[in-house]
Amino acid sequence: MTQTRRDMLTLMAAASGIAALPGQVFGQGGDPVFEGFEAARRNQAWTLGYSDAPADGFDGVARRLHGRMPAGLSGVLHRNGPGRFSRNGWRYRHWFDGDGLVHAWRLGSGGTVSHRARFVGTRKWQLEQEAGRFLMPAFGSVPPNSQGLRGPDDMNAANTSVMMLNGELMALWEGGSGWRIDPETLESRGPKRWAGELDGLPFSAHPKVDPDGTVWNFGQAASHDMLVLWQIGPDGALQRAELVRDIPGGMIHDFAVTDRSLVFLVGNLAFDAMRMPFLDSFRWDDSRGLRVVVLDKADWSLRRSWELPPGFLFHVGGAWEDADGTIHVDAALSDNARFAVQGVQDLMRGALHPDTDGDARLNRITLQPGGRYRVDGFDDGFAEFPQVDPRRVGLARRYPWHIGWQAGQVEGAREVVRRDLASGQTDRFIHPDGTIVEEPLFIPMGSGEGEGWIIHTALNLTEAATELHVFDALNLADGPAASWRLPYACPLGFHGCWRNT
Amino acid sequence: MMTLTALAAVLALTTAQPEASLTLTVEGIETQTGSLAIGVFNTQQGWDDGTAVTGRRVEVTGMTVEVDLGALPPGEYGIKLYHDVDDDGELDANLMGIPSEPFAFSNNAMGRFGPASWSDAVFAVEAAGTRHTVRLQ
Repeated sequence: MTQTRRDMLTLMAAASGIAALPGQVFGQGGDPVFEGFEAARRNQAWTLGYSDAPADGFDGVARRLHGRMPAGLSGVLHRNGPGRFSRNGWRYRHWFDGDGLVHAWRLGSGGTVSHRARFVGTRKWQLEQEAGRFLMPAFGSVPPNSQGLRGPDDMNAANTSVMMLNGELMALWEGGSGWRIDPETLESRGPKRWAGELDGLPFSAHPKVDPDGTVWNFGQAASHDMLVLWQIGPDGALQRAELVRDIPGGMIHDFAVTDRSLVFLVGNLAFDAMRMPFLDSFRWDDSRGLRVVVLDKADWSLRRSWELPPGFLFHVGGAWEDADGTIHVDAALSDNARFAVQGVQDLMRGALHPDTDGDARLNRITLQPGGRYRVDGFDDGFAEFPQVDPRRVGLARRYPWHIGWQAGQVEGAREVVRRDLASGQTDRFIHPDGTIVEEPLFIPMGSGEGEGWIIHTALNLTEAATELHVFDALNLADGPAASWRLPYACPLGFHGCWRNT
Repeated sequence: MMTLTALAAVLALTTAQPEASLTLTVEGIETQTGSLAIGVFNTQQGWDDGTAVTGRRVEVTGMTVEVDLGALPPGEYGIKLYHDVDDDGELDANLMGIPSEPFAFSNNAMGRFGPASWSDAVFAVEAAGTRHTVRLQ
């Protein structure tokens, strides 16, 4: 009897069948990761960024520290990030495993800033809340006695980013469906269901939006060298979604678009064999270089490729393309994946690593016809979360913005930085010691590139409070135009989106 | 002597063990349409390559359905089943092969990144007959 024309459940962000493995044995001595972190919490303020948020989330009003709300700035900053790491005395091994905590920072035209955060009501969250312990295997952890999976959405933590799609907020993860959320109340509405064969396919946390509103995204099945590509119209209606094969199975977290192309940078943390936890399926493999695959937006079967020196990346800033097909892309590249694999595991057990050799720097990559390329790195500090003016997505532009830090700043980023690619100048603001800067977002104002505001949250370790800072995007060095502080500290988040109101 | 050996061999083949009944109860049927497609396997290899020793296709008539899987030699078996909600004769799945129709394995075994394993799904059919219950996922 043939049960199905396809293998049953063959793919998890994808893989062929593997026998269920028993959970790690939970010895009588307690969980060393949980206990290590609890010990660090007693005297190390940075642990605030990786501590569990209350299960009911947060509601509060931020106090203005200085400055005035910029004229015309009114809207909601939505952010997402992992907010629950331990249950029943057992702690996740990897930062990326925590349950998604979605925030809404409301900037009122009267100058008020209020804050609300709610955990995404994923299936995993609901079952685990009820059980009082972790039940599902996670990206980088296997909790004791964890269950089997019907598919990736059973372990969907919805913890990486957010986007507005057709009036609805979506909490995004990397290996499964977006999770629909009421943008006003932050109540969860369930996974985003596309039709039939698209249901439950991965929808990554880094969709790109063309200036005309077209949304591009991908989902990766690294074990099968496969991507699903998504094209969604400005009206939120799906225009196209298809599988594209023979995309090398290095972990792909982000990508870039030009006006004509989709640009994938495939680092050297490569799928090797299915293991539990899923992260362990990847191994560093620098027998090849970092590969770049560029697909034609109009015809996904047309591709160009480049092979760069080996490396690793999470985030791409943006890209544009010249008439001769030369592509310019900026990305936060590192020499290895040590932070992603080991550094974040150290954080979870309460240890900071002074070693920065796995930290990323902003690089300008030029992909020339015939497989030639140039890679030019900025050597004046480390960089992450590169941003561009959303009006210039896919188009030639002058500025990227990013967070920055220097060797020895092991607690996290203290800088917000603007690079001028035309003049080579750097515009930088350094927050006081004890600040951890989170992702900056660009809010357009006026019409020229860079005219607008940079907004970012930050964890103030000295005050044990999360703050919000707004800068003139073309003048960071002068410091925030206005800042606010909540009466509490939130765990550090990953990515956000801005919604005008 | 040769004759006796041959006869013994023939007897061993034809004197089958008494057959035992296997009754399967399927719970947790959320949609009252379509049918259940059930495969019964008796070896690891058959489990892995999809070669069933018997199977049934039964109409869904309620939230719980009881299926008589007939008489089988006592021994070790595993069951795979899915709810063919739209009755198109196949397990609907997304483009990456993840099922979008409910399914289950015997012992309510579950895989992690693939189907449940034979060792998790295997159960005994006793000479006196066996009743087995699974819940659709």
